[in-house]
Amino acid sequence: MALSNRDRARLSLGIQAGIFVAILVALILIIDWGAVRRSFFDLENVSGMFPEVITIGLWNTVQYTFFGFLFGLLGGTVLALMRIASFPVYRWIATIYIEFFRGIPAILVFIALGFGASLAFGLNLSTLQTASAALAIVGSAYIAETIRAGLQAVPKGQMEAARALGMPAWRAMVTIQIPQAFRIVLPPLTNEAILLTKDSSLIFVVGMAGSAAELTKIGRDGILQYGAGMTPLVVAGACYLLITVPLSILARRMEERSPGKSSRRRGKKKATESPVTAGVK
Amino acid sequence: MSTEVTAPAGVVIEDLHKSYGDNEVLKGISVTVNPGEVVCLIGASGSGKSTLLRCVNRLEDPNSGRITVGEFEATDPDVNLDAMRRQIGMVFQQFNLFPHLSVLENCTITPRRVLKQPKADAERGAMHQLELVGLDHLADRRPAQLSGGQQQRVAIARALTMKPSLMLFDEPTSALDPETVGDVLGIMRNLATAGMTMIVVTHEMGFAREVADRVVFMDQGVVVEEGPADEVIGSPSQPRTQDFLRRVLNPLGE
Repeated sequence: MALSNRDRARLSLGIQAGIFVAILVALILIIDWGAVRRSFFDLENVSGMFPEVITIGLWNTVQYTFFGFLFGLLGGTVLALMRIASFPVYRWIATIYIEFFRGIPAILVFIALGFGASLAFGLNLSTLQTASAALAIVGSAYIAETIRAGLQAVPKGQMEAARALGMPAWRAMVTIQIPQAFRIVLPPLTNEAILLTKDSSLIFVVGMAGSAAELTKIGRDGILQYGAGMTPLVVAGACYLLITVPLSILARRMEERSPGKSSRRRGKKKATESPVTAGVK
Repeated sequence: MSTEVTAPAGVVIEDLHKSYGDNEVLKGISVTVNPGEVVCLIGASGSGKSTLLRCVNRLEDPNSGRITVGEFEATDPDVNLDAMRRQIGMVFQQFNLFPHLSVLENCTITPRRVLKQPKADAERGAMHQLELVGLDHLADRRPAQLSGGQQQRVAIARALTMKPSLMLFDEPTSALDPETVGDVLGIMRNLATAGMTMIVVTHEMGFAREVADRVVFMDQGVVVEEGPADEVIGSPSQPRTQDFLRRVLNPLGE
């Protein structure tokens, strides 16, 4: 029998829908919904988590991430400039730093700062200092590569035009190249902020006082405290989403209306997607 | 409405050599451009004309030879490059406007940041130049909102806000839609009439013939022929020039 293309498309959709419904029905029949509710959504028994999960947990997570990202951005910018510097020693140092901290698990840095720093140097860092320093150290390695890619994605003609007008190299860098690079890397930087938000949970290996607890710590303690199965973790997870989902919506928005870089090819805008978003990590 | 040109500079290029690795792009070029003169560089792609132009403001570093621009010795390793470049306006094939700045800011950023002009002065100067290219009504737009021809006119205005004594044009109309070429060439002609020293790399033979005082034909890194525009384009004496012009003026052959 001969099926037209349209028939075939309909048939394919019908089969997919059929499989979906079958699986759904099976799940509804097999799963013990009472048990699921008791272990994951037992909100009555965890009401004690509120409002601390927000006022302490969410607030601390935001603080650790904010400072980690801020200093990571500063360090990352410096490292990116070192990576493209004409003095080779700067390039080597930056490359080694970036490869090292991208190559090791972030949790090692948390342990190093949380325990190692006090043992080795007698430094007594607060939880905020430990968490944001660790995030800044790891984050700056990733951010440096993003920013370097952004600097190199600015068309060469921009620097040439600035220099031809008589701008000194540093002035052209500050006024022309860096502002354009930041526009290009805003979406990938937002992704970096999301990753750091999640990595802030690693501070749990160091341990912390109740007032310094972030979301993961509060979720873990809640499991022991409330006997509500995994519900405290679900609550903590939802709090992470409160941070990360708006950030990724923001990133997508910015990606949609990234600056029209039309000075390279007249008329045709955004023929390809930014080279930065692809392949940075 | 016309441009005022204060002190046009002359350019002397002597025995200029430039290589990329083993590839010698300029093989001993000597060209003199008198103050106020318009010289068009013509020749096939890869003949070295753009490289020669870019050596004049040292966007490229020549391997040997000498270039002087007005009082500056461009090839002196200790020359104050930034000060020299402020005297030399350059217009690029791809315009190279700053996309993150408005049209007006494109024209004020260098006077303000480099010449330290007060904002109001820089804006007055920029608006004047934009008027001369007929685009003062678009001062608040972003470059991306302009047509190619408009962008190139802004690029010319931007260069002129620095009050240069020499203008370099690197194929200024090659990336333009055909219907906007005339506007850009018209502005360049006004500038020539106003007495600006200009070196223009171009494929627009009509413009070269009408506006240029002299035409220099280059091929494979050497100057093959140079002279008054009518002579070089109208009755070239060298076979290579004849061949090139025949192909440019009559692309389909006969």
